[in-house]
Amino acid sequence: MRGGGGGGGRSSGFGMVVDESLSRREAERVLKRLWRMLRPWRMRIVGSSLLIVGQTACLLSGPALVQRGIDDGLRVNDGATLNRYAGAYLLVAVFALIMGRWSIRAVARIGETFLRDLRVRVFQHLVSLGMDFFEREKTGRLVARLTSDVEAMQELVQTGLTMFLQSGLVFVGALIAIFLTSWQLALCTLVVVPPVYFASRWFRRASNRAYLEVRERIGTNLATLQEGLAGVRVVQAFGRERAFTRRFHETNEAQFDANLETAKIATRYFPVVEFSGVVGIAIIIGIGGLFVDEGIIEIGAVAAFVLYLNSLFEPVQQLSQLYNVLQSAGAALHKLFGLLDTKPSIAERPGAIDLPLTGPLEVEGVSFGYGDGPDVLHGVSLTVAPGERIALVGPTGAGKSTLAKLVVRFYDPRAGAVRFAGTDLRDATIQSLRERIVVVPQEGYLFAGTIRENVRVGRAEATDAEVDAALEALGIRDRFSALPEGLETEVRERGSRLSAGERQLVSLARAALADPALLVLDEATSNLDPGTERAVERALEVLTAERTVVVVAHRLSTAARADRIAVIDRGNLEELGTHDELVRREGRYASLWASWTAAQSARAS
Amino acid sequence: MDRDKELRRAGWRLMASTVRPQRRWVISGVMAGAVWTTAKIAIPAFAGAAIDNGIIPGDGNVIAKYAVLILFVGVVQAAGTALRRYSAFRISYRAETDLRQRLFAHLQRLHFAFHDHAQTGQLMARANSDIQQVNQVVIMLPLTISNILILIGAVTVMLLKSVTLALLALGAMPLLAYFATRFSHQIAPVSLELQQELGDLSGVVEESIAGVRVVKGFGAERRQTRRLNIEADSVLDRALVAARMRSNFLPLVDFLPALALVAILWYGGHLVLDGELQIGDLVQFNSYILMLIWPLRIGGMLVAQSARSAAAAGRVSEILETDNAVSDPAHPKPLPRDGTGELRFEGVRFAYTSGQPVLDGFDLVVRGGEAVAIVGPTGSGKTTVARLLPRFYDVSEGRVLVDGVDVRDVGVHELRRSIGIVFEETFLFSDTVAENIAFAIPDAPMDVVRQAARLAGADEFIVELPDQYDTVIGEQGYSLSGGQRQRVAIARAVLADPRVLILDDATSSVDPTKEHEIRTALQQVMQGRTTLIIAHRAATIALADRVVLLDEGRIVAEGTHQDLLASSELYRKVLAQTATGHGAPTPMSESAP
Repeated sequence: MRGGGGGGGRSSGFGMVVDESLSRREAERVLKRLWRMLRPWRMRIVGSSLLIVGQTACLLSGPALVQRGIDDGLRVNDGATLNRYAGAYLLVAVFALIMGRWSIRAVARIGETFLRDLRVRVFQHLVSLGMDFFEREKTGRLVARLTSDVEAMQELVQTGLTMFLQSGLVFVGALIAIFLTSWQLALCTLVVVPPVYFASRWFRRASNRAYLEVRERIGTNLATLQEGLAGVRVVQAFGRERAFTRRFHETNEAQFDANLETAKIATRYFPVVEFSGVVGIAIIIGIGGLFVDEGIIEIGAVAAFVLYLNSLFEPVQQLSQLYNVLQSAGAALHKLFGLLDTKPSIAERPGAIDLPLTGPLEVEGVSFGYGDGPDVLHGVSLTVAPGERIALVGPTGAGKSTLAKLVVRFYDPRAGAVRFAGTDLRDATIQSLRERIVVVPQEGYLFAGTIRENVRVGRAEATDAEVDAALEALGIRDRFSALPEGLETEVRERGSRLSAGERQLVSLARAALADPALLVLDEATSNLDPGTERAVERALEVLTAERTVVVVAHRLSTAARADRIAVIDRGNLEELGTHDELVRREGRYASLWASWTAAQSARAS
Repeated sequence: MDRDKELRRAGWRLMASTVRPQRRWVISGVMAGAVWTTAKIAIPAFAGAAIDNGIIPGDGNVIAKYAVLILFVGVVQAAGTALRRYSAFRISYRAETDLRQRLFAHLQRLHFAFHDHAQTGQLMARANSDIQQVNQVVIMLPLTISNILILIGAVTVMLLKSVTLALLALGAMPLLAYFATRFSHQIAPVSLELQQELGDLSGVVEESIAGVRVVKGFGAERRQTRRLNIEADSVLDRALVAARMRSNFLPLVDFLPALALVAILWYGGHLVLDGELQIGDLVQFNSYILMLIWPLRIGGMLVAQSARSAAAAGRVSEILETDNAVSDPAHPKPLPRDGTGELRFEGVRFAYTSGQPVLDGFDLVVRGGEAVAIVGPTGSGKTTVARLLPRFYDVSEGRVLVDGVDVRDVGVHELRRSIGIVFEETFLFSDTVAENIAFAIPDAPMDVVRQAARLAGADEFIVELPDQYDTVIGEQGYSLSGGQRQRVAIARAVLADPRVLILDDATSSVDPTKEHEIRTALQQVMQGRTTLIIAHRAATIALADRVVLLDEGRIVAEGTHQDLLASSELYRKVLAQTATGHGAPTPMSESAP
């Protein structure tokens, strides 16, 4: 049921906004590590920072040039000087344009290539982790690491970094400029900055909280929507349309309320900011006017202050907004680093050797438990001869699937050893292990791509002819060739077109292409459509011939066909022998068999 | 092209109809915007006047007067901005919420055929991203009107001061709107592509994790990493294209106004030198230019956005304007109160797509209380028979009668209440077990719920669940096995005590070892009801009194199970196909070849 499209995974990133803010120490560690990771980009970072500084300097010099034009040109009736300043302004504007263009491109290249490398690196690490990790973590959360967590940095990369640098520079630059113009008036004007700063800080926190709530309610509302649509036939069959519409009304209105709350917060914040700006102008005019009167400053300074006021206000607002972006990017990086620091539980030992081509499978005194949990296998020993078929039988949760996982080294045993042809699996190279021993899971799992590509998962370097041959050998080539696009049929797009049985067939073809010495089969519990069931059985016959086979059997009919049967219960190997032997022994298998055949004949009547 | 235009026109109509109920907030938003605008324009004017009349002559009183005036106008401006923003948000959130509600209510009622063609994902996109697109224009409505006022106000004041300077200063500004429109048009498809690439990338991640057993089992880690690499490269590529577009546009936002400021300084400066303008006027001009940056920039983007939003609204409107094909008759007749549930199909013809009849002259009478199994090869139309009864679809010819009344003459609600249906694929809602069973009658007392569960053989496992009947199941809750789900569905169907029961392949997903339990349950619930059984397993067919064999849309044979086994080759073939699957009488036949 998992793995349907990309949407589900990404939406789970909704939750990750800012409530997970980092402590100062964590933030420092994240930053240091980021800086180390950025080593290959450092020269480019320096270069683009220079561009940004240049561009900002040009933008800032504008008001200064206007002021000089007024004071040195207009006030003294000097047209030539005026022309010079106007010309200079035009020039810096052109410079700002050019540098702005290049800085955006340079920053984007740094950021985007960094994100690409990060994605690949994290993914590579992710797939190298052991099965224990994947059974512990939810798919959605892992997908979120590579999607929403990386995307949380995208905004920072696209506009955030530039804006951060620029806003900081503008603010500092404007500050210096007004102090140079008139420190007295500057001090007076700055009175309005603290309220803006505090209001922005309040706004940031309040709106974060509110948006978190909005996201949660959107999630709930979408879930109701989705359920109403997916279950629309049942709703109509039982005449419950109105009740469901009412139910949606509730979650929908809840979303509205949460949205309106954010509006109320904005409604409180922006008037404060705008009014502070006006107060700034009033101060510049009122007090600045007095200063002119006193001869402390000139009129041009007043004009410049009015223009600089904007340069003081916007950065404060922007920086307080950026803080959010920085926070969520930091939190995302922190999570990604956490993932990168997870050590693979199954790793290749130094000096590992290739497994021999074939030989017996020996399970010797194997005990195993998941995580810190209790043992679920207790000292199981079992030897399977080359070419032998052995079935693992037992109630759900008895440990048969666990044993199968140890045989393919999804896990390592706590005690004892699993050997193939005399070599401990822990001493083998992963590559040779995957070539010799292959597991076919219960349900045929398909990747996006064509049928041919899906078969080729079994052995990446296989040629088209080899894929064809694998399908041919299992007697299913015609079945897929008969599709309108044959083996080139995209399976995901028409995923529903391939039945469970057909998916299973693709999965078997994969195993045939891999051509392992030992095949581990996890039998499907559910039924297949009658049409393909037989094809699956025939393919299985071919696939299992002349191979060592361990099958986790859910149906006793399958077990009965094996050379030997191992009955496992509560983690112990209870019985081992051929079908006839075990039936004669009148032990656990015999009683399972008796009740199963009874049920079968009851159904047939 | 015409279709697009038509779509957008419908979109605009829908937007207008959604905003209309909120006229009051629109008016208050625009008025607040006008006040805000006036204040915003007045402040630079007062500042300019203060410089010319107060500071230059050195008149402290005048300066103080203007400073206080500016503060006062500042208060008005703050109040204006508060009301303007609140109105805008309110209008847009209200519009979004109402539109989504309308859409949901409509979708809940739309006939099956519509839902057969529409994918849930697409409908979700309509209700989610399309409505958000609409929202982006609605939220701008009051602000846009205010912005137009700002524009008119500022331009008028500038023209009054000096026509030539105004024209010179404003010359570059329309370019800002133009470039903003162009940028918005250009970047929209790229952003969409980027989103798609990101979706593909997350697809690779998702399938690698969901299929991690296969990836590890075949050592396909490198293959998947290669695929991720390709997707990550496409993301990078699109992101860089988008960055290039941003780099072409964003610096212009600073550059074009700077051109205007240069013009003001240079030309305006000379006007001052010639004594035609005052210095304060120049400061005022500068402020206006700065003030116009945002309205023009946003205006340009809005032009581009509105085309997309209108198209999105058009898509929503398409759904809203789809008529429900199955609706109540003008004068509904009641079903006879003492009806036994007699069913009659008379010369029924039906096709999902015209020209490909699924039922082609189907006749069948089911006596009240009788159980009839409908058997046939895939595509013979057996499920369709069951779907015509509760009017999930209407016949194209002939008629379907329940207790002598044409189903099209009965109120849809009443008709469906009298028919209980167990679907092939069990859909349970994310609710408690009790709520799922009491689906048809939410206020059914607990003992009725338990009775239904007992009848369906579900009570025994429900009481073993962590919270018994209060256990939350469904997609987000406790997961039940296929057989358990099916039994809950059966309980749901019988709770309302329907006179007709339809079992549409109701045992298909049941584990063969559990099948006999369900059969016993079914035998109980079928008592005293007319039952239609769609099945292909011999064991389930055996529940019926009579079997009809369907082929190519009409009945080709009927009788008891034994009769048909003896007389019909096709019947044997249909059953044989199934028998190899699960009905295998002995394990030997499975290992036969």
